[in-house]
Amino acid sequence: MDELLQEALDAASAAGASYADARAVETRTEAIAVRGPTVEAVDASDSAGFGVRVLVDGAWGYAASALLEVAEARAVALTAVQVARASASASRHPVELVPEPVHVDIWSTPVRRDPFSVALEDKLALLTGAAEAMERVTGVHVAHAGMDLLRSVTRLHTSEGTRLVQTIIHSGAGIEATAVDEHDTQTRTYPGARGGFASGGYEVIEDLDLLGAAERTAEEAVALLRAPECPDEIATLVLGGNQMMLQVHESVGHPTELDRVLGIEAAFAGKSFVTAADAGGLRYGSELINITADATTPGGLGTFGYDDEGVAAQSIDLVRAGVLVGFQTSRETAALVGAARSNGTMRAEGWENFPIIRMTNINLLPGEGTLEDLIADVDHGFYMETNRSWSIDDRRENFQFGCEVGYEIRNGRLARLVKNPRYTGNTPVFWKSCDALAGASEWRMWGTPNCGKGQPGQTMRVGHGTVPARFIGVQVGVGR
Amino acid sequence: MSPPLDLDVLRSVAASVLELGGADEVEVVASGSITGLTRYANSGIVQNTARREVRVHVRVATGGRVASATTNQLDVKSLSAAGARARAAARATPEDHAYPGMANPAEAGVADPLLRFDQATEAATPADRAATVAALIAAAEGASSAGIVETGSHAYAVLNSHGLERFDAFTRANATCLAEVDGATGWAERSLTALEALDPEELGRRAGRAAAAARAPVAAEPGERTVVLAPPAVAGLLEYFAYTGFGAKEVIEGRSFLTRRAGQAVAAEMVTVADDVFHDASIGIAFDLEGCAKQRVAVIDRGIATGPVTDRRTARRLGLPNTGHSSGSGAWGPYAFNVVLYGGSGSLDDLVAGVDDGIFVTRFWYVNVLDRPTALLTGMTRDGTFSIRRGELAEPLHNLRFAQGVLEALSTCEGLSGTAECAVPEWGPLGSVVAPAARLGSFSFSASRGR
Repeated sequence: MDELLQEALDAASAAGASYADARAVETRTEAIAVRGPTVEAVDASDSAGFGVRVLVDGAWGYAASALLEVAEARAVALTAVQVARASASASRHPVELVPEPVHVDIWSTPVRRDPFSVALEDKLALLTGAAEAMERVTGVHVAHAGMDLLRSVTRLHTSEGTRLVQTIIHSGAGIEATAVDEHDTQTRTYPGARGGFASGGYEVIEDLDLLGAAERTAEEAVALLRAPECPDEIATLVLGGNQMMLQVHESVGHPTELDRVLGIEAAFAGKSFVTAADAGGLRYGSELINITADATTPGGLGTFGYDDEGVAAQSIDLVRAGVLVGFQTSRETAALVGAARSNGTMRAEGWENFPIIRMTNINLLPGEGTLEDLIADVDHGFYMETNRSWSIDDRRENFQFGCEVGYEIRNGRLARLVKNPRYTGNTPVFWKSCDALAGASEWRMWGTPNCGKGQPGQTMRVGHGTVPARFIGVQVGVGR
Repeated sequence: MSPPLDLDVLRSVAASVLELGGADEVEVVASGSITGLTRYANSGIVQNTARREVRVHVRVATGGRVASATTNQLDVKSLSAAGARARAAARATPEDHAYPGMANPAEAGVADPLLRFDQATEAATPADRAATVAALIAAAEGASSAGIVETGSHAYAVLNSHGLERFDAFTRANATCLAEVDGATGWAERSLTALEALDPEELGRRAGRAAAAARAPVAAEPGERTVVLAPPAVAGLLEYFAYTGFGAKEVIEGRSFLTRRAGQAVAAEMVTVADDVFHDASIGIAFDLEGCAKQRVAVIDRGIATGPVTDRRTARRLGLPNTGHSSGSGAWGPYAFNVVLYGGSGSLDDLVAGVDDGIFVTRFWYVNVLDRPTALLTGMTRDGTFSIRRGELAEPLHNLRFAQGVLEALSTCEGLSGTAECAVPEWGPLGSVVAPAARLGSFSFSASRGR
């Protein structure tokens, strides 16, 4: 493979590329889905290929192929140069890259138990066992369980001399119970609607204790059928850590991607309400709010050694004491805002895609106390957990999010269950209304395995470490 | 340039897999794409890709035990390895008593390839796409513009050990233009089979003029309003409406509106929504990913909720005909890949002319499902929202959030334009939504930016 990548770099340079990188990716995934005792899908997938990214006349070109032959490497490199020359015919400004030290390294996700070595029979027994336990609960109409495993090996060579081999392993699983009566359908999941994902081996799945959570999850789905609708009102809102994952993702992670801020994603993913000039001055949230982009956090889906343009993993502040202080950058966008170095967030899905700025682990740092402490201070309000729906405008300002389950809070305690709980708000107004964050004992790393961005569309796995949080004066309900 | 998938090559390399020892049935589903996609932003090209890819999915059944493996390497060794992995996994899997078996040619029906294929589009070069981008940017009349120009050729094949053999291919050209003037935006898009039929000057000009007209927006009061939705806005609703419940698996699991409302009047009589790959504007293939012939299925027929789309498993479970809509995933179940809302008569301007006081929406953004069984959706308007006063577009509006049940909205449908436009999915080449402009008597906006 090294010979193939070097051939691509040599061919690109000979054809006029001022910069080139060649990236080969071999990916193995395993996906299992069951419904009760029935296996709906068992699929093992292998993908291998390489992509060549070049700068010619100050413009980008990218070409990719699954044919792993040296002759193909030359052809693909020449296609990339041809693509770049076409780009140069209608580009506005020559691309410049901030410097990055040359890295020669091998990096791997720490794993206690290789998830691909676990017998399929054991995986199926775990999933069908959990699904059948949920189906035994009266009122449950259907119960699903699923597991997804990934191992990717990326080799990156750049014309500047970087040579990297990186092995990433992700494991995840989840369960879902759906209760149905003549009037309504309600679904409850564990540990979240997207399952529980982390970088690591089969230990990630064992730690979830799906069997232990099955009956409780199913009972909550059935209870939701009989629960009243969440009322429409302005209220104090306490969000569980899983919903805070979504809140951080949509209203902090995406708005601070510098490609959005600079308009590069305008037509598809949209722009951002913040501008490049806002760093250091814009009040994003209350003084309690500290948020980082940290590719070094153990266990995160955005944890790696190097990004896909060979920049070493870093931890940077995005919001410090409520003030916007940083953006997620690439070597190109860092140069556009005068930064000395990229903070390393360029990632691509597989070999076939051009790397773009993607969240790493966008982490909300903890405050003090427990979730119970947050609730204990509320005379009247609502607690919501587990994301169910999400929508936010193209500048990442106006959002409406829904959760699977809600509880009314009365006199410092959880009271009646409410269904279809939703809340809406404006990003900076909402974050400024935060008056309490739970402490480090409540901090947990969550994984989002399905973040979409880019054209052609790319799905990326990103992490969010969060704690439960409390917000004042929030519009909840928003029903019809 | 060679085609993305050669059936003769596939047939020869798949032969060893289709005769896999120790398996009752074997199925090979292959797809190939050659795609070029040029992105522009701030009125210049910013990303530009060319890629070629193949995916081969091998499904094995033995004694009612089913598993699959996928590879992207089209050689005998890789395919054999995938077959062996699938066979080993199937042996470890419990018997599925409801497994319907793979289709034999008689069951699978007639599926003559549609071959909506344009050689010039397949052969389009990066320079061709760059020239189209340059024309879009120039036509946007001074606006800052962003979008894509994409060309691609795509081929699909299904072969199985019962002797079933399917092949179809299509090309797709897709261009979008977001124009921005003083912070206001306008939008135009077009998706069709042939790049030559794209008119970049018209798209760029339309987006640029819409952006200029959208400057200095005012806030609108939330509430129930009469709306005229341009085709991209209608397509955005239909895409999620189909996702919420057109498939039979959703019906079986109690998540679809059809679970409780099949046979009932759920929309105005002028509304017929179908999965119809045979519609002139649809982009797709003639068979599903089990190799069964696709049928046109009216999910709402002249306002009445009728039936879901099915695959072999769900058709058997519900006692319905197999409509040929397998997604290739047992977890997903059948899927409506080619949604069509059939048009009415007249033009978009005619629809606007019939509104005394309402709102015009160019397109929706970040639509998502609030409640699946009732098809309750939320999302924002984007890139051109205007008041309608006395039959004409009036002042531009800040973007609005909506929370609206699709069935309730379609029940108030007052008119559909005679022409429909094709929109293509954001993720992958398979599928399209064909939609006209629509006038809906009542549509619920829950919030406005700027208010």
